[in-house]
Amino acid sequence: MYACLYAEGNLALLVECARYFSPRYEEYSADAVLVDLRGAGLLFGSWAEIADAMQRRIGVAANIALAGDPDSAFFLARSRKGITLIHPGEEAEALASVPLRLLPCSSETAAVLHAWGFSTFGELAALPAAGIAARLGAEGTALLRLVRGENNRQLRTVETPRSFRDDIELESPVALLEPLLFLLGRLLNELCAALMRSALSTDEVRLALTLENAPTHSCVLRLPIPLCDPMVLLKLLQLELGERPPAAAILKISLELEPAPPRKTQHNLFVAAGPEPQVLEVTLAKLRHLLGADCVGAPHLLNTHRPDAFSMQHFPGNAAAPQNPFPAQPALALRRYRPPKLAQVTKHQERPAQVRSGALRAKVIAAAGPWRTSGDWWNTLAWNRDEWDVALANGVLYRLYEEVGSQRWFVEGVYD
Amino acid sequence: MKYVELHARSAFSFLRGASVPEEYAEAAAKLELPAMALTDCDGVYGSPRFFLAMKKAGLRGHTGADVLCTDGGRYPVLVKSRTGYQNLCRLITQTKLRTEKHPKKPESQAAAMPEEWAEFAEGLLCLTGGADGPLAVALRRGEGRACLERLIAIFGRGNVYVELQRHYERDQEARNQEAVRLARSLQLPLVATNGVCHAYPEQRKILDVFSCLHHKTTLAEAGRLLSRNAERHLKPGVVMARLFADYPEAIGNTVEVSAQLTFELTDLGYEFPRYPLPAGQSEMEFLRARTLEGARLRYPAGYERARPQLEHELRIIEKLQLAGYFLVVWDIVNFCRAEGILAQGRGSAANSAVCYSLGITAVDSVAMGLLFERFLSEERGEWPDIDIDLPSGPKREKVIQYVYRRYGERGAAMTANVITYRDRSAAREVGKVLGFDEATLERLSRLAPMWGWNDPTNTVEARFREAGLDLENARIKHFYELTKGIRNLPRHLGQHSGGMVVCQGKLDSVVPLEPASMPGRVVVQWDKEDCADLKLIKVDLLGLGMMSVLEDTLELVREHEKKDIDLGQLPADDPAVYQMLQRADSIGLFQVESRAQQATLPRLKPTKFYDLVVQVAIIRPGPIVGKMVHPYLARRKGTEPIEPLHPLLAPILERTLGVPLFQEQLLRMAMTAANFTGGQAEDLRRAMGFKRSQERMQEIEQRLRSGMAQNGITGKMQDTIVQSITSFALYGFPESHAASFALLAYASAWLKHHHLAAFTCALLNNQPMGFYHPAVLVKDAQRHGLRVLPVDIARSSYKCSLEDLQLRLGLNYVRGLNAQTAAHIVAEREREPFFDIDDLARRIPELCKDEWTVLAEIGALNTLQAKHRRDALWQAARAGRPVGPLLEGVSETAPDSPLPPMTPEQRLEADYRGTSLTVGRHPMAHYRAHMQTLGITPATGLTKLSSGRWVRIAGCVIVRQRPGTAKGIVFISLEDETGISNAVVMPDVFLANRLTILNCAWLIIAGPIQNVDGVIHVRAEQIEPLKVDSIAAASHDFH
Repeated sequence: MYACLYAEGNLALLVECARYFSPRYEEYSADAVLVDLRGAGLLFGSWAEIADAMQRRIGVAANIALAGDPDSAFFLARSRKGITLIHPGEEAEALASVPLRLLPCSSETAAVLHAWGFSTFGELAALPAAGIAARLGAEGTALLRLVRGENNRQLRTVETPRSFRDDIELESPVALLEPLLFLLGRLLNELCAALMRSALSTDEVRLALTLENAPTHSCVLRLPIPLCDPMVLLKLLQLELGERPPAAAILKISLELEPAPPRKTQHNLFVAAGPEPQVLEVTLAKLRHLLGADCVGAPHLLNTHRPDAFSMQHFPGNAAAPQNPFPAQPALALRRYRPPKLAQVTKHQERPAQVRSGALRAKVIAAAGPWRTSGDWWNTLAWNRDEWDVALANGVLYRLYEEVGSQRWFVEGVYD
Repeated sequence: MKYVELHARSAFSFLRGASVPEEYAEAAAKLELPAMALTDCDGVYGSPRFFLAMKKAGLRGHTGADVLCTDGGRYPVLVKSRTGYQNLCRLITQTKLRTEKHPKKPESQAAAMPEEWAEFAEGLLCLTGGADGPLAVALRRGEGRACLERLIAIFGRGNVYVELQRHYERDQEARNQEAVRLARSLQLPLVATNGVCHAYPEQRKILDVFSCLHHKTTLAEAGRLLSRNAERHLKPGVVMARLFADYPEAIGNTVEVSAQLTFELTDLGYEFPRYPLPAGQSEMEFLRARTLEGARLRYPAGYERARPQLEHELRIIEKLQLAGYFLVVWDIVNFCRAEGILAQGRGSAANSAVCYSLGITAVDSVAMGLLFERFLSEERGEWPDIDIDLPSGPKREKVIQYVYRRYGERGAAMTANVITYRDRSAAREVGKVLGFDEATLERLSRLAPMWGWNDPTNTVEARFREAGLDLENARIKHFYELTKGIRNLPRHLGQHSGGMVVCQGKLDSVVPLEPASMPGRVVVQWDKEDCADLKLIKVDLLGLGMMSVLEDTLELVREHEKKDIDLGQLPADDPAVYQMLQRADSIGLFQVESRAQQATLPRLKPTKFYDLVVQVAIIRPGPIVGKMVHPYLARRKGTEPIEPLHPLLAPILERTLGVPLFQEQLLRMAMTAANFTGGQAEDLRRAMGFKRSQERMQEIEQRLRSGMAQNGITGKMQDTIVQSITSFALYGFPESHAASFALLAYASAWLKHHHLAAFTCALLNNQPMGFYHPAVLVKDAQRHGLRVLPVDIARSSYKCSLEDLQLRLGLNYVRGLNAQTAAHIVAEREREPFFDIDDLARRIPELCKDEWTVLAEIGALNTLQAKHRRDALWQAARAGRPVGPLLEGVSETAPDSPLPPMTPEQRLEADYRGTSLTVGRHPMAHYRAHMQTLGITPATGLTKLSSGRWVRIAGCVIVRQRPGTAKGIVFISLEDETGISNAVVMPDVFLANRLTILNCAWLIIAGPIQNVDGVIHVRAEQIEPLKVDSIAAASHDFH
């Protein structure tokens, strides 16, 4: 005997109820749970008593149907209100009035059944099996079993996904990093061991610290490669917490490792071996800690005419070497000032004649330009400027630019 | 400092330039450039417009092109002489024609091969180009010197100029220095250009948008594909001289080069094809003989009366040396006649008795007193325009292919149709480029006007607000401005529906040709206005659905009624036909079937052919906006005195009761009232029909007013006459054109009245066409007593056919049935009838499951031993599922279908689902009893009710219309089983019921009835949806 518990939007309640009555249950849909009640009579009484007990346990309005096969129980729970009890062998009769739209079939078959003028299970059930097989094939035969209540099948029981998470509630708040790291080390050891037992690594570490009189402090470490070394993970957490320490003493530690398949690598015989990824990751984390996250990584030129447009990408980034976007660029290196230095420029015949910027005060001996660029006119990054390459009396070659709108001058850099 | 811009791309470079040629001419005039060259990419698409605009501005417009070469460079070449121009055209044609247009790879580009340059270099002058020019490409490979030496070898030392461009870019300057060094060492002259892509600096934004569209990306992602700055605009000589102060000779050389470019587009060397004549006869003699020969047949009684007019026309034709043109058109019409293809000249050609005699047109211009000068005049000295209507579809294609064959692949081509960005496409493309998400894009493109008429409060700002978009927002503002900016700019080149240009010899020496997307078609790079401007003769071979209908009807009558009908010999002024028209019983007829026409027919009450000519011409935006319809109808009815606008105009307007209705009358009015010469009147006419004519119309209005003032016509009278004339700018028919159409309208009415079965059958076989859906045509024919039989697999042909003067629906009406499968069914059945459904399945194995289902559902398989449609479905479901060779021959043991028969409502639904129509009872017939309880009056019941009485009508919406001329009024037609009822919805009622009107296929409309001269309307005050089972009826909506 099988039961179907059906209530819209209350899956958690249905699952809890199903678990209470049987270890074998199936989450059939977002609103329905099927329960294998074979043998439950010995524990909970007659089928009617079980149905009543289920209704009480769910606690909200639900349709409950008990029938000899799970699918019949579902269709009956779906189409009849309250409790329905159908004894084995009577399913076909009970199902006859169930509307055909409940039948889980392909849209193509649904169209055929609609064209045949059918609206209930009973009408389809009355058709000859051979005729259906000839017209609707295997799907038709399966549907016929469903509408006749003859689809005896095993339940697809639920397997809970494995979680690698642990918490420690602290008796007294921890305010120092060292004891915290000790506790974190313990958690990491256990979780990494659990991961290894499952032949897994982790590519994301999520730490949540419940604080005394302050909001929860969370941090997430996303690892470029899956790792399972508790020492490395502890070091990374240490650097992260050192950079962004919690705002108050800690009451509870929750640590979760996202499982991921372990890294599989095959080294190339002809390529020099790089540093171990975990070591590199720790080094980069140290650098980020020292310099700030925006200053560590590989510079990547952006595809735009906007001067000095680049972004920092995670190191080592893509292995492919970036293509030189300026093939015709003269081979002269420019050392940029970041930010550029404000300057005062005197012009003579529309060309820079004298430059003053901080300690720099010099006459322009030669100037090439203007080199005009403008763009991003459709957004707030819009720019419009005239650049000049100037040789000053001090014998150095500089790049200046004038912002066309504001008429402000800047020294952008010096040529090597 | 004098400077000539020699390198500029217009929007006719398709997404590589942002200004139209006229903008360049305007900017060049403002900047005081004495001349300029247009060098569009791989073509001379914009050259006619550029040349004429420059000429109008008093400047010289040079022709050239940026031709892509397989070495990757774009060669900017300028035309020095006619030979050069011809070479350029032939080179472009050669490259284009060998590059097949692939619908899935529109970007596949034609490119010239380096060795081809030598063949076509004469008369051309080559610049070395900008960043994509041959020198820059070669410099990147370190082969700069070799490149220049090669160019010298191809074009000759005097014809190669090393081009310098300065857009304030570092790499460009590095290239310039290298170019100068090479030029000096090879002793080549320098020339400065600005590599112009737009006329004004602010158009750089449009260029950026176009770059994105060209590379199918967004502004945010385009990066270095966009321009580095806004320097590629047209610059004056002073600025260019300052830019090139270190190379003054580069500026001076622009003027020198310009002086070498003596070619002008008026010197195309175009020659109209010569008709092959019998030995010793001139074209004129041959034409005269053919004309007089034809005239004797056309004017059996009135030959002598027509003779003076014929002689007059022949004299003018001889004087203008147009005999060849008439013979070529005559040749095409002869071909049609020999092939049994109906062909009829339309437009102003119908003003000519010569055309009538030659059989080109069907209107007797002598009898109708039509003005020949409207067609051809000595004064205008322009080529005549003969349009020929042909049956649309394969027969028209046959005629087009005949012209190709006759004049050679490179001797004839279709005229182009320049597709420009319209409101909706501009909005969508700009939105995409700005990176709007799909939902916003949809909202934005919906902002583009959809309906013919716009409420005055419906401003752009209001529309944006309505869509929840703030014009103050920078992105939305950019969107708005860019959309406005790219509107009307060329998008791509299409093919004109029927305009053909033919040439004596090589047309590819006159204008470059390129393949059209349709296989077997070649198009010229100019549209029909450009061709007319440059005096290229074109013949319009237009496809007209009604011509196919008439032709098919005659064929059906011949086959089934054993009668041969000659359209030229139809009984004139058949009273029964006119009675039918007076009743507005005109569904399916040519030109007089629309709602507006039906509302006028009972008031105009046509009794003779000329009334039909007026009827065809009167329901046009011109007469409607010019407020000429009501005065004409009132005068006809006798409720308004017949007075001309002005005594001077009395003779001109006599025939149309003092109201101007035809283009010819407007021209004559301008000549009489405002002292226009024939040429000026022709200017006026062209401004009317010309899409680029807003400014021209204003100029002409000024001239009209001053002319009238000279004749003492002032004040309100002047305003009325000006309004009459200028309102035709919207659209007005020439009398001869209306007469040609009226002939077709009469023929269609006559055939519908006397041969309803054949006419309806032909109409159904030529869909889509006309105003009504096939479902409406079938119901109308049924109401006229025609029996329409459903699709039957055992009897239906592919197309609809006749069985004992009953109409049998064809397999072409079965939705989703593959045409080849249908043809196979018919062929197999002719070999041997199908025995049952299994037999059909065995013999037509390609029938797929969906096809089986639809055939069974519409009852088409009932005659194959199926008791009813569901029985057929049951059998078809098995038949459509192959069981493999083992069980193929095994038949089912169970004898009867277990499925229940369909109810009448289910059959109706299946009919609409499977064929979009039903030959059974009208859906409304099933609900009539219920309708009576709702107080609904059937369509035929309305005639018995008096005006002002409140009624409720209901039915299936067959037409929704909101014409631009009706100030927001919406017209709705509802069909029930008795006929069609019409409702008028005022703008306020429409706004209150907008969604119901637009979304519901079945409506109940209530309001007072209006019966004016037998024209019955319900003035809608209440509109509600009518609940009818899921029948998806289709209406023809004209928004």
